[in-house]
Amino acid sequence: MNEVVLDCMGEACPVPLIKAQNKLKELALGDLLIVQIDHSCAMKNVPEWARKEGYNVEVEEVDDGEWEVIIEKTK
Amino acid sequence: MAREKVVENYDVIVIGGGAAGLTAGIYAGRARLKTLLLEKSLVGGLATYTNEVENYPGFPNSPKGEDITNLMKEQAKKMGVVFKLTDVKSVDLEGEEKVVETFRNKYIAKTVILATGGRPRITKAKNEENYLFDKGISFCATCDAAANTGKTVVVIGSGDAAIEEGMFLTKFADKIIVSVLHDEGKMDCNEIAKEAALQNPKMSFMWNTVVESFEGEGHLDTVVLKNVKTGDLIPISCDTCFEFIGYIPNTEIFKDQINLTPQGYIVANEKMATNVEGVFACGDVVEKWLKQIATAVGDGAIAGFAAEKYIAESECFHDIILQKEKPGLTYIYNAVDAPSREFLTSVKKIEEGLIGQVQVNRVDVYKSTGLADRLNIKEFPAVVLTKNGKIVHSFIQDFTEESILREVKEII
Repeated sequence: MNEVVLDCMGEACPVPLIKAQNKLKELALGDLLIVQIDHSCAMKNVPEWARKEGYNVEVEEVDDGEWEVIIEKTK
Repeated sequence: MAREKVVENYDVIVIGGGAAGLTAGIYAGRARLKTLLLEKSLVGGLATYTNEVENYPGFPNSPKGEDITNLMKEQAKKMGVVFKLTDVKSVDLEGEEKVVETFRNKYIAKTVILATGGRPRITKAKNEENYLFDKGISFCATCDAAANTGKTVVVIGSGDAAIEEGMFLTKFADKIIVSVLHDEGKMDCNEIAKEAALQNPKMSFMWNTVVESFEGEGHLDTVVLKNVKTGDLIPISCDTCFEFIGYIPNTEIFKDQINLTPQGYIVANEKMATNVEGVFACGDVVEKWLKQIATAVGDGAIAGFAAEKYIAESECFHDIILQKEKPGLTYIYNAVDAPSREFLTSVKKIEEGLIGQVQVNRVDVYKSTGLADRLNIKEFPAVVLTKNGKIVHSFIQDFTEESILREVKEII
Protein backbone atom coordinates (compact mmCIF):
# COMPACT_ATOMS: atom_id res chain seq x y z
CA MET A 1 0.00 0.00 0.00
CA ASN A 2 2.28 2.70 -1.29
CA GLU A 3 1.60 6.37 -1.73
CA VAL A 4 2.90 7.82 -4.95
CA VAL A 5 3.03 11.56 -5.59
CA LEU A 6 2.68 12.76 -9.17
CA ASP A 7 3.73 16.37 -9.69
CA CYS A 8 1.67 17.97 -12.45
CA MET A 9 2.13 21.58 -11.35
CA GLY A 10 2.12 24.03 -14.24
CA GLU A 11 0.79 21.44 -16.64
CA ALA A 12 -2.35 22.10 -18.65
CA CYS A 13 -5.05 19.66 -19.74
CA PRO A 14 -4.95 16.95 -20.83
CA VAL A 15 -1.38 16.32 -19.60
CA PRO A 16 -2.24 15.69 -15.90
CA LEU A 17 -5.02 13.28 -16.87
CA ILE A 18 -2.82 11.24 -19.21
CA LYS A 19 0.03 11.20 -16.71
CA ALA A 20 -2.34 10.05 -13.97
CA GLN A 21 -3.80 7.33 -16.18
CA ASN A 22 -0.36 6.01 -17.07
CA LYS A 23 0.95 6.19 -13.52
CA LEU A 24 -2.04 4.37 -12.08
CA LYS A 25 -1.38 1.43 -14.42
CA GLU A 26 1.99 0.95 -12.72
CA LEU A 27 0.49 0.90 -9.21
CA ALA A 28 -0.67 -2.11 -7.23
CA LEU A 29 -4.10 -2.72 -5.78
CA GLY A 30 -4.66 -0.56 -2.71
CA ASP A 31 -1.99 2.00 -3.62
CA LEU A 32 -2.72 5.72 -3.41
CA LEU A 33 -1.86 8.10 -6.23
CA ILE A 34 -1.63 11.76 -5.26
CA VAL A 35 -1.81 14.01 -8.31
CA GLN A 36 -0.71 17.59 -7.64
CA ILE A 37 -2.30 20.07 -10.02
CA ASP A 38 -2.81 23.80 -10.42
CA HIS A 39 -5.00 23.88 -13.53
CA SER A 40 -8.68 24.08 -12.66
CA CYS A 41 -9.63 22.00 -15.69
CA ALA A 42 -7.53 19.08 -14.42
CA MET A 43 -9.29 19.47 -11.10
CA LYS A 44 -12.44 18.46 -12.99
CA ASN A 45 -11.31 15.86 -15.53
CA VAL A 46 -8.88 13.88 -13.35
CA PRO A 47 -11.43 13.14 -10.57
CA GLU A 48 -14.20 12.61 -13.13
CA TRP A 49 -12.18 9.97 -14.92
CA ALA A 50 -11.12 8.27 -11.69
CA ARG A 51 -14.68 8.18 -10.36
CA LYS A 52 -15.97 6.77 -13.63
CA GLU A 53 -13.36 4.02 -13.37
CA GLY A 54 -14.78 3.20 -9.94
CA TYR A 55 -11.76 4.30 -7.89
CA ASN A 56 -12.05 6.11 -4.56
CA VAL A 57 -11.32 9.79 -5.04
CA GLU A 58 -10.74 12.79 -2.81
CA VAL A 59 -9.82 16.29 -3.92
CA GLU A 60 -8.08 18.56 -1.47
CA GLU A 61 -7.54 22.25 -2.09
CA VAL A 62 -4.08 22.59 -0.58
CA ASP A 63 -3.76 26.25 -1.46
CA ASP A 64 -5.62 28.83 -3.49
CA GLY A 65 -5.73 27.30 -6.98
CA GLU A 66 -3.66 24.25 -6.02
CA TRP A 67 -5.16 20.85 -5.54
CA GLU A 68 -4.24 17.29 -4.72
CA VAL A 69 -6.35 14.61 -6.31
CA ILE A 70 -6.01 11.47 -4.21
CA ILE A 71 -6.93 8.28 -6.03
CA GLU A 72 -7.06 4.83 -4.43
CA LYS A 73 -6.56 2.00 -6.89
CA THR A 74 -9.41 -0.25 -5.80
CA LYS A 75 -9.40 -2.69 -8.71
CA MET B 1 -6.16 -4.26 2.28
CA ALA B 2 -8.10 -1.84 4.42
CA ARG B 3 -6.06 1.26 5.10
CA GLU B 4 -6.27 2.69 8.61
CA LYS B 5 -8.66 5.62 8.55
CA VAL B 6 -7.56 8.90 10.07
CA VAL B 7 -10.01 10.03 12.76
CA GLU B 8 -10.98 13.71 12.94
CA ASN B 9 -13.44 15.44 15.27
CA TYR B 10 -15.82 18.24 14.34
CA ASP B 11 -18.78 20.04 15.87
CA VAL B 12 -20.77 19.98 12.64
CA ILE B 13 -20.49 17.89 9.48
CA VAL B 14 -22.45 19.07 6.46
CA ILE B 15 -22.89 16.41 3.79
CA GLY B 16 -23.42 18.05 0.40
CA GLY B 17 -22.00 21.26 -1.04
CA GLY B 18 -24.95 22.79 -2.88
CA ALA B 19 -26.65 26.05 -1.97
CA ALA B 20 -28.31 24.48 1.12
CA GLY B 21 -25.18 22.82 2.48
CA LEU B 22 -23.06 25.92 1.85
CA THR B 23 -25.55 28.13 3.69
CA ALA B 24 -25.74 25.69 6.62
CA GLY B 25 -21.93 25.79 6.66
CA ILE B 26 -21.88 29.60 6.69
CA TYR B 27 -24.26 29.70 9.67
CA ALA B 28 -22.43 26.97 11.59
CA GLY B 29 -19.03 28.52 10.84
CA ARG B 30 -20.23 31.94 11.91
CA ALA B 31 -21.37 30.44 15.23
CA ARG B 32 -17.70 29.47 15.66
CA LEU B 33 -18.42 25.79 15.37
CA LYS B 34 -15.73 23.57 13.91
CA THR B 35 -17.42 22.71 10.65
CA LEU B 36 -16.59 20.24 7.90
CA LEU B 37 -18.35 20.21 4.53
CA LEU B 38 -18.14 17.01 2.48
CA GLU B 39 -18.96 17.15 -1.23
CA LYS B 40 -18.64 14.16 -3.53
CA SER B 41 -17.73 16.02 -6.71
CA LEU B 42 -17.81 19.78 -7.19
CA VAL B 43 -19.02 22.44 -4.80
CA GLY B 44 -22.14 24.25 -6.00
CA GLY B 45 -24.63 21.44 -6.49
CA LEU B 46 -27.46 21.51 -8.97
CA ALA B 47 -27.29 25.29 -9.32
CA THR B 48 -24.04 24.94 -11.26
CA TYR B 49 -25.97 23.33 -14.13
CA THR B 50 -27.93 26.54 -14.63
CA ASN B 51 -26.54 29.17 -16.95
CA GLU B 52 -28.80 32.02 -15.98
CA VAL B 53 -30.31 32.37 -12.57
CA GLU B 54 -33.11 34.91 -12.98
CA ASN B 55 -34.91 34.63 -9.68
CA TYR B 56 -32.36 34.52 -6.89
CA PRO B 57 -32.85 37.79 -5.03
CA GLY B 58 -29.95 40.20 -4.98
CA PHE B 59 -28.57 39.18 -8.37
CA PRO B 60 -30.47 41.20 -11.00
CA ASN B 61 -27.93 40.53 -13.77
CA SER B 62 -28.84 36.83 -14.23
CA PRO B 63 -25.52 35.27 -13.20
CA LYS B 64 -24.52 31.68 -13.84
CA GLY B 65 -25.55 29.42 -10.95
CA GLU B 66 -21.90 28.60 -10.43
CA ASP B 67 -21.06 32.28 -9.88
CA ILE B 68 -23.54 32.46 -7.00
CA THR B 69 -22.43 29.21 -5.37
CA ASN B 70 -18.74 30.15 -5.77
CA LEU B 71 -19.46 33.27 -3.73
CA MET B 72 -21.23 31.13 -1.12
CA LYS B 73 -18.17 28.86 -0.99
CA GLU B 74 -15.87 31.85 -0.55
CA GLN B 75 -18.07 33.10 2.27
CA ALA B 76 -18.12 29.67 3.97
CA LYS B 77 -14.32 29.49 3.76
CA LYS B 78 -14.10 32.93 5.32
CA MET B 79 -16.18 31.56 8.21
CA GLY B 80 -13.63 28.80 8.67
CA VAL B 81 -15.56 25.92 7.10
CA VAL B 82 -13.24 23.06 6.07
CA PHE B 83 -13.99 21.54 2.64
CA LYS B 84 -13.23 17.96 1.61
CA LEU B 85 -14.22 16.80 -1.84
CA THR B 86 -14.95 13.12 -1.53
CA ASP B 87 -17.78 10.64 -1.36
CA VAL B 88 -19.36 9.66 1.97
CA LYS B 89 -19.22 5.88 2.24
CA SER B 90 -21.29 5.35 5.39
CA VAL B 91 -22.91 7.16 8.30
CA ASP B 92 -23.87 6.19 11.84
CA LEU B 93 -26.19 8.92 13.08
CA GLU B 94 -27.70 7.50 16.27
CA GLY B 95 -26.35 8.58 19.63
CA GLU B 96 -24.42 11.66 20.67
CA GLU B 97 -21.36 10.88 18.56
CA LYS B 98 -22.24 10.86 14.90
CA VAL B 99 -19.84 9.00 12.62
CA VAL B 100 -19.33 9.85 8.94
CA GLU B 101 -16.83 7.79 6.97
CA THR B 102 -15.08 8.47 3.68
CA PHE B 103 -12.56 6.13 2.12
CA ARG B 104 -9.68 7.80 3.97
CA ASN B 105 -11.23 9.26 7.11
CA LYS B 106 -13.53 8.58 9.99
CA TYR B 107 -15.13 11.85 11.05
CA ILE B 108 -16.84 12.17 14.41
CA ALA B 109 -19.24 15.05 15.00
CA LYS B 110 -21.79 16.32 17.50
CA THR B 111 -24.29 17.06 14.78
CA VAL B 112 -24.74 16.24 11.10
CA ILE B 113 -26.59 18.24 8.44
CA LEU B 114 -27.79 16.26 5.44
CA ALA B 115 -27.81 18.36 2.26
CA THR B 116 -27.22 15.70 -0.36
CA GLY B 117 -29.77 16.92 -2.93
CA GLY B 118 -30.89 14.71 -5.76
CA ARG B 119 -30.10 13.63 -9.28
CA PRO B 120 -32.23 13.44 -12.41
CA ARG B 121 -34.19 10.24 -12.90
CA ILE B 122 -33.35 8.48 -16.16
CA THR B 123 -35.53 6.32 -18.43
CA LYS B 124 -33.26 3.24 -18.20
CA ALA B 125 -33.92 2.63 -21.92
CA LYS B 126 -31.35 0.84 -24.09
CA ASN B 127 -28.00 2.64 -24.69
CA GLU B 128 -28.99 5.56 -22.48
CA GLU B 129 -25.71 5.53 -20.53
CA ASN B 130 -23.78 6.12 -23.78
CA TYR B 131 -25.35 9.52 -24.44
CA LEU B 132 -25.80 11.11 -21.00
CA PHE B 133 -25.05 14.84 -20.56
CA ASP B 134 -22.75 16.10 -23.32
CA LYS B 135 -23.51 13.30 -25.79
CA GLY B 136 -27.11 14.15 -26.52
CA ILE B 137 -29.21 13.47 -23.42
CA SER B 138 -29.77 16.56 -21.31
CA PHE B 139 -31.61 17.27 -18.07
CA CYS B 140 -31.44 21.03 -18.23
CA ALA B 141 -33.17 23.12 -20.87
CA THR B 142 -31.66 26.28 -19.45
CA CYS B 143 -28.18 24.85 -19.94
CA ASP B 144 -28.57 23.33 -23.40
CA ALA B 145 -31.38 25.23 -25.13
CA ALA B 146 -29.14 27.71 -26.92
CA ALA B 147 -27.05 24.91 -28.43
CA ASN B 148 -30.25 23.59 -30.02
CA THR B 149 -31.19 26.77 -31.86
CA GLY B 150 -32.98 25.82 -35.10
CA LYS B 151 -32.83 22.11 -34.30
CA THR B 152 -35.20 19.27 -33.47
CA VAL B 153 -35.38 18.00 -29.89
CA VAL B 154 -37.29 15.31 -28.06
CA VAL B 155 -38.69 15.92 -24.57
CA ILE B 156 -39.54 12.97 -22.33
CA GLY B 157 -42.25 13.51 -19.72
CA SER B 158 -45.41 15.56 -19.20
CA GLY B 159 -45.03 16.98 -15.69
CA ASP B 160 -44.65 20.67 -14.92
CA ALA B 161 -40.91 20.57 -15.51
CA ALA B 162 -41.22 18.74 -18.85
CA ILE B 163 -43.88 21.03 -20.28
CA GLU B 164 -42.53 24.30 -18.94
CA GLU B 165 -38.99 23.48 -20.02
CA GLY B 166 -40.39 22.30 -23.36
CA MET B 167 -42.10 25.66 -23.81
CA PHE B 168 -38.81 27.37 -23.00
CA LEU B 169 -37.10 25.23 -25.65
CA THR B 170 -39.52 26.50 -28.32
CA LYS B 171 -37.72 29.84 -28.11
CA PHE B 172 -34.63 28.14 -29.54
CA ALA B 173 -35.38 24.82 -31.24
CA ASP B 174 -37.59 24.56 -34.37
CA LYS B 175 -39.38 21.40 -33.40
CA ILE B 176 -40.11 19.93 -29.98
CA ILE B 177 -41.51 16.41 -29.94
CA VAL B 178 -42.87 15.45 -26.53
CA SER B 179 -43.16 11.79 -25.54
CA VAL B 180 -46.11 11.37 -23.15
CA LEU B 181 -46.94 8.08 -21.43
CA HIS B 182 -50.64 8.89 -21.10
CA ASP B 183 -53.59 8.87 -23.51
CA GLU B 184 -54.05 11.76 -25.93
CA GLY B 185 -54.73 15.05 -24.15
CA LYS B 186 -53.69 13.81 -20.72
CA MET B 187 -50.60 15.28 -19.04
CA ASP B 188 -49.24 15.45 -15.51
CA CYS B 189 -48.58 19.20 -15.61
CA ASN B 190 -50.85 22.02 -14.52
CA GLU B 191 -53.75 23.04 -16.76
CA ILE B 192 -52.34 26.42 -17.76
CA ALA B 193 -49.07 24.90 -18.98
CA LYS B 194 -50.99 22.14 -20.75
CA GLU B 195 -53.24 24.56 -22.69
CA ALA B 196 -50.28 26.68 -23.73
CA ALA B 197 -48.29 23.65 -24.82
CA LEU B 198 -51.12 22.17 -26.89
CA GLN B 199 -51.49 25.47 -28.72
CA ASN B 200 -47.80 25.97 -29.34
CA PRO B 201 -47.19 25.34 -33.07
CA LYS B 202 -43.60 24.18 -32.44
CA MET B 203 -44.66 21.42 -30.07
CA SER B 204 -46.03 18.06 -31.10
CA PHE B 205 -46.96 15.11 -28.91
CA MET B 206 -46.42 11.37 -29.13
CA TRP B 207 -49.10 9.92 -26.87
CA ASN B 208 -48.87 6.54 -25.11
CA THR B 209 -45.13 6.34 -25.69
CA VAL B 210 -42.01 5.50 -23.72
CA VAL B 211 -38.37 5.42 -24.85
CA GLU B 212 -37.28 2.07 -26.24
CA SER B 213 -33.69 2.98 -27.10
CA PHE B 214 -31.21 5.73 -27.90
CA GLU B 215 -29.17 5.47 -31.11
CA GLY B 216 -26.34 7.36 -32.82
CA GLU B 217 -22.66 7.22 -33.75
CA GLY B 218 -20.85 8.79 -30.82
CA HIS B 219 -23.57 11.42 -30.36
CA LEU B 220 -27.29 10.80 -30.10
CA ASP B 221 -29.17 11.16 -33.42
CA THR B 222 -32.29 9.03 -32.96
CA VAL B 223 -34.65 8.34 -30.10
CA VAL B 224 -36.73 5.21 -30.67
CA LEU B 225 -40.10 5.52 -28.96
CA LYS B 226 -42.43 2.62 -28.30
CA ASN B 227 -46.21 2.89 -28.30
CA VAL B 228 -47.22 1.10 -25.10
CA LYS B 229 -50.63 0.19 -26.52
CA THR B 230 -49.67 -1.13 -29.95
CA GLY B 231 -46.04 -2.03 -29.34
CA ASP B 232 -45.06 -0.07 -32.48
CA LEU B 233 -41.51 1.32 -32.55
CA ILE B 234 -41.23 4.90 -33.75
CA PRO B 235 -37.72 6.20 -34.55
CA ILE B 236 -37.41 9.98 -34.22
CA SER B 237 -34.40 11.87 -35.52
CA CYS B 238 -33.28 14.60 -33.18
CA ASP B 239 -30.28 16.57 -32.00
CA THR B 240 -30.88 16.40 -28.26
CA CYS B 241 -33.23 14.50 -26.00
CA PHE B 242 -34.32 16.26 -22.81
CA GLU B 243 -35.48 14.02 -19.98
CA PHE B 244 -37.75 15.58 -17.37
CA ILE B 245 -39.13 12.63 -15.47
CA GLY B 246 -38.31 13.70 -11.97
CA TYR B 247 -35.50 13.66 -9.46
CA ILE B 248 -34.20 10.95 -7.18
CA PRO B 249 -33.09 12.19 -3.76
CA ASN B 250 -29.62 11.05 -2.68
CA THR B 251 -30.67 9.28 0.49
CA GLU B 252 -29.59 5.67 -0.10
CA ILE B 253 -26.96 5.71 2.65
CA PHE B 254 -29.39 7.19 5.24
CA LYS B 255 -32.44 5.09 4.50
CA ASP B 256 -32.14 2.74 7.47
CA GLN B 257 -31.60 5.58 9.96
CA ILE B 258 -33.61 8.57 8.79
CA ASN B 259 -37.36 8.73 8.15
CA LEU B 260 -38.01 9.16 4.45
CA THR B 261 -41.12 9.64 2.32
CA PRO B 262 -42.08 6.77 -0.02
CA GLN B 263 -40.22 8.71 -2.76
CA GLY B 264 -37.07 8.79 -0.63
CA TYR B 265 -37.08 12.44 0.46
CA ILE B 266 -36.09 13.25 4.05
CA VAL B 267 -38.91 14.20 6.39
CA ALA B 268 -37.84 17.29 8.38
CA ASN B 269 -39.84 19.58 10.63
CA GLU B 270 -39.92 23.40 10.55
CA LYS B 271 -36.60 23.45 12.39
CA MET B 272 -35.16 21.14 9.70
CA ALA B 273 -34.75 18.42 12.35
CA THR B 274 -35.04 14.79 11.24
CA ASN B 275 -36.29 11.91 13.38
CA VAL B 276 -32.76 11.41 14.74
CA GLU B 277 -31.68 13.85 17.44
CA GLY B 278 -28.86 16.12 16.33
CA VAL B 279 -29.37 15.34 12.65
CA PHE B 280 -30.78 18.05 10.42
CA ALA B 281 -31.56 18.20 6.71
CA CYS B 282 -31.91 20.98 4.15
CA GLY B 283 -32.23 21.67 0.43
CA ASP B 284 -33.62 19.49 -2.35
CA VAL B 285 -33.17 16.27 -0.36
CA VAL B 286 -35.97 17.38 1.99
CA GLU B 287 -39.61 16.75 1.20
CA LYS B 288 -40.91 20.23 0.38
CA TRP B 289 -43.03 22.20 -2.00
CA LEU B 290 -40.62 24.43 -3.86
CA LYS B 291 -37.06 23.47 -4.77
CA GLN B 292 -35.11 26.61 -5.61
CA ILE B 293 -31.80 28.21 -4.64
CA ALA B 294 -33.78 30.67 -2.54
CA THR B 295 -35.55 27.93 -0.56
CA ALA B 296 -32.35 25.87 -0.25
CA VAL B 297 -30.65 28.90 1.27
CA GLY B 298 -33.64 29.41 3.57
CA ASP B 299 -33.62 25.95 5.04
CA GLY B 300 -29.82 25.80 5.03
CA ALA B 301 -29.84 28.81 7.34
CA ILE B 302 -32.35 27.13 9.64
CA ALA B 303 -30.38 23.87 9.71
CA GLY B 304 -27.11 25.67 10.51
CA PHE B 305 -28.79 27.67 13.26
CA ALA B 306 -30.56 24.58 14.64
CA ALA B 307 -27.26 22.68 14.75
CA GLU B 308 -25.74 25.48 16.83
CA LYS B 309 -28.71 25.49 19.22
CA TYR B 310 -28.56 21.71 19.53
CA ILE B 311 -24.89 21.78 20.47
CA ALA B 312 -25.40 24.59 23.00
CA GLU B 313 -28.29 22.65 24.54
CA SER B 314 -26.21 19.46 24.72
CA GLU B 315 -23.47 21.31 26.56
CA CYS B 316 -25.96 22.86 28.99
CA PHE B 317 -27.54 19.45 29.56
CA HIS B 318 -24.27 17.69 30.37
CA ASP B 319 -22.43 20.48 32.16
CA ILE B 320 -25.26 22.05 34.17
CA ILE B 321 -28.36 19.85 34.40
CA LEU B 322 -26.46 16.58 34.81
CA GLN B 323 -23.48 18.03 36.72
CA LYS B 324 -21.94 15.53 39.13
CA GLU B 325 -20.58 17.83 41.83
CA LYS B 326 -23.66 17.86 44.02
CA PRO B 327 -27.24 16.65 43.98
CA GLY B 328 -29.29 18.56 41.39
CA LEU B 329 -32.83 19.90 41.36
CA THR B 330 -34.20 21.02 38.02
CA TYR B 331 -37.54 22.80 37.86
CA ILE B 332 -39.10 22.53 34.40
CA TYR B 333 -41.97 24.91 33.73
CA ASN B 334 -43.74 26.91 31.10
CA ALA B 335 -43.42 30.62 31.82
CA VAL B 336 -46.80 31.41 30.28
CA ASP B 337 -48.52 29.29 32.95
CA ALA B 338 -49.18 31.49 36.01
CA PRO B 339 -49.29 28.76 38.74
CA SER B 340 -46.01 27.36 37.37
CA ARG B 341 -44.48 30.83 37.58
CA GLU B 342 -45.70 31.23 41.14
CA PHE B 343 -44.05 27.97 42.17
CA LEU B 344 -40.70 29.60 41.32
CA THR B 345 -40.97 31.24 44.76
CA SER B 346 -41.08 27.79 46.38
CA VAL B 347 -38.11 26.67 44.28
CA LYS B 348 -36.23 29.71 45.55
CA LYS B 349 -37.14 28.85 49.11
CA ILE B 350 -35.86 25.30 48.70
CA GLU B 351 -32.65 26.64 47.19
CA GLU B 352 -32.10 29.09 50.03
CA GLY B 353 -32.99 26.54 52.69
CA LEU B 354 -30.39 24.07 51.43
CA ILE B 355 -27.80 26.68 50.70
CA GLY B 356 -24.88 25.24 48.74
CA GLN B 357 -25.97 21.64 49.18
CA VAL B 358 -28.03 21.35 46.01
CA GLN B 359 -27.51 22.76 42.52
CA VAL B 360 -30.87 24.26 41.50
CA ASN B 361 -31.69 24.85 37.80
CA ARG B 362 -34.75 26.39 36.18
CA VAL B 363 -35.73 25.39 32.65
CA ASP B 364 -38.40 27.36 30.82
CA VAL B 365 -39.92 25.24 28.04
CA TYR B 366 -41.77 28.14 26.41
CA LYS B 367 -39.30 28.45 23.52
CA SER B 368 -37.92 24.94 23.34
CA THR B 369 -38.69 21.64 24.99
CA GLY B 370 -35.26 20.30 24.02
CA LEU B 371 -33.88 20.04 27.55
CA ALA B 372 -37.17 18.66 28.89
CA ASP B 373 -37.15 16.03 26.11
CA ARG B 374 -33.68 14.95 27.15
CA LEU B 375 -34.97 14.50 30.70
CA ASN B 376 -37.91 12.59 29.29
CA ILE B 377 -40.36 15.13 30.73
CA LYS B 378 -43.45 15.68 28.56
CA GLU B 379 -45.80 17.38 31.03
CA PHE B 380 -45.20 20.57 32.97
CA PRO B 381 -44.46 21.75 35.57
CA ALA B 382 -42.07 19.05 36.70
CA VAL B 383 -39.14 18.65 39.05
CA VAL B 384 -36.24 16.31 38.32
CA LEU B 385 -33.74 15.32 40.99
CA THR B 386 -30.30 14.12 39.94
CA LYS B 387 -27.31 12.63 41.70
CA ASN B 388 -23.91 11.82 40.19
CA GLY B 389 -25.20 12.88 36.78
CA LYS B 390 -28.18 10.50 36.90
CA ILE B 391 -31.90 11.09 37.32
CA VAL B 392 -33.01 9.70 40.70
CA HIS B 393 -36.54 11.06 40.97
CA SER B 394 -39.10 12.92 38.82
CA PHE B 395 -42.17 14.80 40.05
CA ILE B 396 -44.72 15.50 37.33
CA GLN B 397 -47.37 18.17 38.00
CA ASP B 398 -48.52 16.76 41.33
CA PHE B 399 -46.00 18.04 43.87
CA THR B 400 -45.55 20.55 46.69
CA GLU B 401 -42.65 22.35 48.28
CA GLU B 402 -42.79 19.84 51.13
CA SER B 403 -42.89 16.68 49.00
CA ILE B 404 -39.89 17.88 47.01
CA LEU B 405 -37.95 18.86 50.09
CA ARG B 406 -38.51 15.42 51.60
CA GLU B 407 -37.02 13.70 48.55
CA VAL B 408 -34.16 16.18 48.25
CA LYS B 409 -33.10 15.54 51.83
CA GLU B 410 -32.95 11.82 50.99
CA ILE B 411 -30.28 12.37 48.35
CA ILE B 412 -28.10 14.93 50.10
